[in-house]
Amino acid sequence: MNVIERAEKEILFFDGAMGTMLQKRGLQAGELPEVWNITKEDVILDIHKQYLEAGCSIVKANTFGINPFKLKDKGYSCEELTAQGIKLVKRAIAETGKDAYAALDIGSLGKLLEPLGDLSFEDAYAAFCPVCAAGEQAGADLCLIETMNDTYEIKAAVLAAKEHTSLPIIVTMVLDENGKLLTGADLEAAAAMLEGLRVDAIGLNCGFGPDVMKEFLPKLREICSLPIVLNPNAGLPVVVDGKTSYLVEPEEFAAVMKEIALDGVSILGGCCGTTPAHIRALVDSCKGIAPLAITEKNRSVVSSYTHAVVLDDRPKIIGERINPTGKPRFKQALRERDLEYIYKEAIAQQEMGAHILDVNVGLPEIDEVEMMRQTVTGLQGITDLPLQIDTSDVAAMEAAMRLYNGKPLINSVNGKQESMDAVFPLAAKYGGMIVCLTLDENGIPKTSRGRIQIAEKIIKEAEKYGIQKKDLLIDTLAMTISTGQDNAEITLEALDYVRHTLGVHTTLGVSNISFGLPQREKINTAFFTIALSRGLSTGIINPGSGAMMAAYYAYCALSGSDSQCSDYINYLSGQPDQPKTVPSGTKEITLFEAVVKGLAASAGFAAKKELEIKEPLDVIDQALIPALDQVGQGFEKKTLFLPQLLMSADAAKAGFDAIKEHLKAQGDNSESKGTIVIATVKGDIHDIGKNIVKVLLENYGFQVIDLGKDVPPELVVEAAREHKVQLVGLSALMTTTVANMELTIQMLKKELPECKVMVGGAVLTQRYADEIGADFYSKDAMGSVRYANELIAKP
Amino acid sequence: MQVDRAETLRYLGYRGQEIDEQTQQLLDEAAAELERESLPKSVYQEYPCQVEGNQIIMGNFTVTSANLAKNLKGCEYVVLLAATIGRGADFMIKKYSVVNIAKAAITQAAGAAYIESYVDEVEAKIRQEALERGLYLRPRFSPGYGDFPLECQKEMFEILECSKRIGVALTEGNLMMPSKSVTALIGLTTKERESCQMKTCMQCEKTDCEFRKEESGA
Repeated sequence: MNVIERAEKEILFFDGAMGTMLQKRGLQAGELPEVWNITKEDVILDIHKQYLEAGCSIVKANTFGINPFKLKDKGYSCEELTAQGIKLVKRAIAETGKDAYAALDIGSLGKLLEPLGDLSFEDAYAAFCPVCAAGEQAGADLCLIETMNDTYEIKAAVLAAKEHTSLPIIVTMVLDENGKLLTGADLEAAAAMLEGLRVDAIGLNCGFGPDVMKEFLPKLREICSLPIVLNPNAGLPVVVDGKTSYLVEPEEFAAVMKEIALDGVSILGGCCGTTPAHIRALVDSCKGIAPLAITEKNRSVVSSYTHAVVLDDRPKIIGERINPTGKPRFKQALRERDLEYIYKEAIAQQEMGAHILDVNVGLPEIDEVEMMRQTVTGLQGITDLPLQIDTSDVAAMEAAMRLYNGKPLINSVNGKQESMDAVFPLAAKYGGMIVCLTLDENGIPKTSRGRIQIAEKIIKEAEKYGIQKKDLLIDTLAMTISTGQDNAEITLEALDYVRHTLGVHTTLGVSNISFGLPQREKINTAFFTIALSRGLSTGIINPGSGAMMAAYYAYCALSGSDSQCSDYINYLSGQPDQPKTVPSGTKEITLFEAVVKGLAASAGFAAKKELEIKEPLDVIDQALIPALDQVGQGFEKKTLFLPQLLMSADAAKAGFDAIKEHLKAQGDNSESKGTIVIATVKGDIHDIGKNIVKVLLENYGFQVIDLGKDVPPELVVEAAREHKVQLVGLSALMTTTVANMELTIQMLKKELPECKVMVGGAVLTQRYADEIGADFYSKDAMGSVRYANELIAKP
Repeated sequence: MQVDRAETLRYLGYRGQEIDEQTQQLLDEAAAELERESLPKSVYQEYPCQVEGNQIIMGNFTVTSANLAKNLKGCEYVVLLAATIGRGADFMIKKYSVVNIAKAAITQAAGAAYIESYVDEVEAKIRQEALERGLYLRPRFSPGYGDFPLECQKEMFEILECSKRIGVALTEGNLMMPSKSVTALIGLTTKERESCQMKTCMQCEKTDCEFRKEESGA
């Protein structure tokens, strides 16, 4: 019987703290406890035995801190320390003759993952792999992934455990006083992801004593359909004479833990500050308590790295705009790998009220797997909305599901056996809700009955993979009414049945209903409202359509899912001025004025107006450049300060974008003034200064190749060579990274002696710049523009 | 705790220019969003402090730095401190770098001001606790200042368990992430006369810094 099966029958007990015990035995701060598995195995063995004698049923091996980063230069391998750690537990169990399990204890890597940190998801995964493999090989009975505070790192660890062992997996996390992980993720988001990944039990450890942890229990029980584990500290840490102590005594600890056990937690133990005495008291106090049965909570939920979106009686909006279909500009962005374009679409849709974002980056001529990977990774640094991974390429789907920090929506599977065979195993492995299209080998049924039958077939097939109805989202396929009078009703009838009779959530690509008709929004809006009232759970729509969003909010208010109509009222009051028409109060503003005043929406509008009567080049020379110059001079004379310069830069950018669009429409691809490579040097991750320089240089007509931050010298040289640039811009913020700047300059000077280098950044001075061999020191963003103009743009 | 407006402007290189309505609105929005998105957290621990020449011994933590030794000379204790306002600022900066570079720059500045205010708040608490024991604070001193090596971050992070307790990690180059984070040492001395209230900014050797505080006034 494995540990989880046994936890259904009786309450199980983890042991207590290892670190606390080791400190008492002389472990110094900063010393790696796991090395003791080899150097002081008697001590470790003794501690395990003490816990076993105290009555624990699961012993955590002394493997918590084992990973390639912490073991670097320590002279031990992950594998040997892990194997030895497990062996000591097994030995302790054998020598005490107790019936207990050995847990491979896996802790945090102590590094921050991308997009904020410098550790990639796959590198994090790779760091966990050797520990997992060695742990099972040495005889571990389960993996305990604990003291985790980042869902992304948890996912890397869980995948490593799943792919390198066949052991049950328990995950416990640390919460702060607000009940959130340190990344800001709430419990619902974490639980959604972990249930999707099919771990065996989840819970909390460390951070607090049992009294505080108990407060989080009702929430966890409400959302979680898995056994719950709680390993609290012996209270909050208190520092006495430079030593961290925990003051909650065993009896007090056990008394609260007993209440927790009665509340339905089936696996209990201790973390920092708990001792064999705490565990003994805990085991004694829980005698005779039987675990409560685990109930299925039947929640349909997707999640991002911060929060969960629950599908319930209140419908949700899935933003459809990240999709190249029928959008030449989007296709161009994909071909040029212009991720910023995609990010802007994401941010705009979020601001307009989308709850989930569909992500489709498929184009025949691009590498969709790689594009999907980059897009999903990038979007997770830009928006906290859950994503709907939309692709027919199974490899791209898996790449995205793997990298996704949360429980995604997957778009889509259909009734074809081939499709179900490909998609369901992925969903079973990585988790996710799945959009199911009601079509199969015979195409799209022309009757609602036919679509319902396919829905039933899909539900049945999903069950084989352990995928429950709650994780399906059935699309009864909106087909245009321009080719069939009954099309709307067929879709709606099937939708109604699926939602209310089959009890499965629904979705529709709403705008398909009006294909081929004039003024499609009018039809779309009416159909959307009808579909919502017939049981549509999620509408895949364009949140940029004011009419559709108004229909949505109105429906929610009418259907009683908007308490006091507050969202409806908020929506109306929060409506931003739509720049599609003239922004209010700025009717007569010229492009020049708009840029000087830093009004981006007005500038875009004014540029379009001027393009109606002027040549594009005249618009640039007579309005945009003079305005930028005026603002630039104001900045240098200090009559304006940075935000004002940048607001004008953004406004000018809107103007330039309008011109570019105009030129593209005429088939004209204008030449840039020249190309400049910019980068934040290796080791440095602060890149806002560089980003500011980029915007300004682009406004002055330069093509900028932005290599990003933390860029190795070789890459800078390579890019400079490839693009044959005359100028490279480097930024560094820290004294320590200026050394890398110097290195980059040296390498550039050696390989490409003609290429000039300008530098900037907080710690630099003219003298410093001279010392490291830079050609130009830019003390602020405008300096770089001036230098680039002098160097490159001289006629 | 609120974002300090004057400090935000100082980080933006403000020199008394007229602030129009647009700019004002952007400043207000960024500050409000930052306050909403931040999760300030801190951890600090006190150790006995011993200075021998350029060596400072704090429990098991030993640092060699002439500047730090000068700062801590005569202190009986030293507090190791780490604080952060969380990831909100970094995510905002990333987001606004794409759609609104002015707001990104303002968030950057407001974030810098916000973490400073927060550390000041934590320091005030430490000061109060110290006063009750008849101890006075020296100005805080961070790895990377003067000849106090940035590499010392690594050990400080392990001692304070920064990753677990406040969610801050170090990059390969020993920079902190989330970026709006601070580590510092604060000396505690029984001699009030030897404590010092000089603001840290003024100790910096980069006298031509754009953001340097004015000598007069505060």
